[in-house]
Amino acid sequence: MIWKIGALVVAAACTVAIAVGLLVHKSTFDRAYGIARERALEAVDTGTPVDDPPAPLRDVAPGQRVTWYDDSGRHGPVMWAAKREGDHVRAVWIDMGGDQRNLEAFDRSMAKAGLVALAVVVPATALVVARLSRRLRLVAGTARRIADGDLDARIGPSNGRDEIAEISTAVDSMAAALQQRLHSEQRFTADVAHELRTPLMGLVTSAELLPEGQATDYVRDRVRVLRHLIEDLLEISRLDAGAEQPQLSTVPLGPMVAESVRRTGLPVRLEVIGEPTAVTDPRRLDRILTNLVTNAHRHGKEPVEVLIGDGAIAVRDHGPGFPADLLAEGPQRFRGQGQGLGLTIALGQARVIGARLELANAPDGGAVARLELADAPDGGAVALLDLIPG
Amino acid sequence: MTHLLLVEDDEVIRNTVGLALERYGYQVSTAGDGLAGLELFRSGGHDVLLLDVMLPALDGIGLTRRVREVSQVPILMMSARGDSLDVVSGLEAGADDYVVKPVDTAVLVARIRSLLRRGGQRQGSAQLVFGDLVIDPEGMEVHRGGSRLALSPTELKLLLEFAANPGVVLDRQTLLANVWDYAWDGDSRVVDLCVQRLRAKVGADRIETVRGFGYKLRR
Repeated sequence: MIWKIGALVVAAACTVAIAVGLLVHKSTFDRAYGIARERALEAVDTGTPVDDPPAPLRDVAPGQRVTWYDDSGRHGPVMWAAKREGDHVRAVWIDMGGDQRNLEAFDRSMAKAGLVALAVVVPATALVVARLSRRLRLVAGTARRIADGDLDARIGPSNGRDEIAEISTAVDSMAAALQQRLHSEQRFTADVAHELRTPLMGLVTSAELLPEGQATDYVRDRVRVLRHLIEDLLEISRLDAGAEQPQLSTVPLGPMVAESVRRTGLPVRLEVIGEPTAVTDPRRLDRILTNLVTNAHRHGKEPVEVLIGDGAIAVRDHGPGFPADLLAEGPQRFRGQGQGLGLTIALGQARVIGARLELANAPDGGAVARLELADAPDGGAVALLDLIPG
Repeated sequence: MTHLLLVEDDEVIRNTVGLALERYGYQVSTAGDGLAGLELFRSGGHDVLLLDVMLPALDGIGLTRRVREVSQVPILMMSARGDSLDVVSGLEAGADDYVVKPVDTAVLVARIRSLLRRGGQRQGSAQLVFGDLVIDPEGMEVHRGGSRLALSPTELKLLLEFAANPGVVLDRQTLLANVWDYAWDGDSRVVDLCVQRLRAKVGADRIETVRGFGYKLRR
């Protein structure tokens, strides 16, 4: 913006200088022209005539006086005047060289004055504009920080009562309102969590104490499902609140993913290329992997394969692939045939750890979820996909 | 027999968790609020404390603080919220680890075992000296400037882990695995807050933070 305004000011200043210069130049010339003309007309009666008047003056009608401005002369411009005396034309000229030199000097000082004015106006404008642009940039930067989750970011009070001060105040109060809303939402989530988890824990441990039997198995299974559902819901609402912070550490991906997959208890074909490590949040990555592998088993067909490369992980199954509407619109909560929350959570957690989760179908069928970690080399996940055998 | 003290206000949880832990061979005493818990704790003989965070009369965080004034017994917090405020305040007050409800008894037992595991598959029993800090791995004692430090078992395990690798940067995952027996599901804040507590006891500059990696013990 500073450049645009700067250029605009320079253009405006130049236009004004040139317009004023041209106007003054023209009126000065007109004045000199008028004076020279009068003097020439006087001189045609009194002055010494030339012997051979130039062509344009030769056919002056009787009783008529003409003047002619000739700037083609070798010694500068002159003003001619002529009248007819019998069959012969009496013509005189007045030198206008002095006037022209005056005019040129005048033009030069006009140009100089213009340049001096520009030299003052342009830096002054740049200074003012730079200040404005710095303040606007502070507003933009703060808004961006808020968008990135730093809800404590504020522009702070500014001295001035212009539009920028106004927008600063508006952004600050918006951030405060947002923060307050988030806080109350988080408090609600925490309260709900407490209210749900306490009886659930009683249920979980009670179910553990039941004597073994088919009915007990049913109860335990349903308790397990209910527990996962509640945990998923709470996780979703925490992710929605947008206040989740990753706890990053350097993780060797091979063993980490292997342990994660092992704990799902589901059969998975695991392949590790090289010895990749990544800076990530292992607990969140574990959540993502568990959800992807569970999802692959629930909605796809075996074999489920997990491929680990440099900064990227791919999970694929050999079922019918993701439904078209899921690929088009992204995973919807609880919509479709028991889609559940697994993929939504995986996507949300991926966002928290700065990873990209892409869902696609393999050309030969089967769903592929590619997780590209934040520090993955370009195209790491794409290369992984190519490596997956069809 | 390992003696546990379970302080939990929800009657069902208190009774079922108590019963389940008894099946694992623990002796369990229970209390229904913080003050009753503190009373029971003062009667002595507990090897591990299991405290709910939200308790009537005296909450789990306050109870932890009171216990820490006189004892370094391992404390496991049970939070029904799992948000940072609960967890961080509990760990700051001196808890060694936390679990989020609902928790399977098997997981609870694994956590209790980890807290009771004596930190020290160390080779040799020679005293280790780092500045004014003298560590006796055999006697499980630490002296600083001649006086004996009161370290909780977890803090001691953590210090021994550092002492076994002096000058080496240990990342949070390694510490979670070696000190707390977590695979990948450990919360790195547990490490950060335990390091903070340890620092307060052994001297702030003894353990350096290596930004983005972890911690190391200054030789």
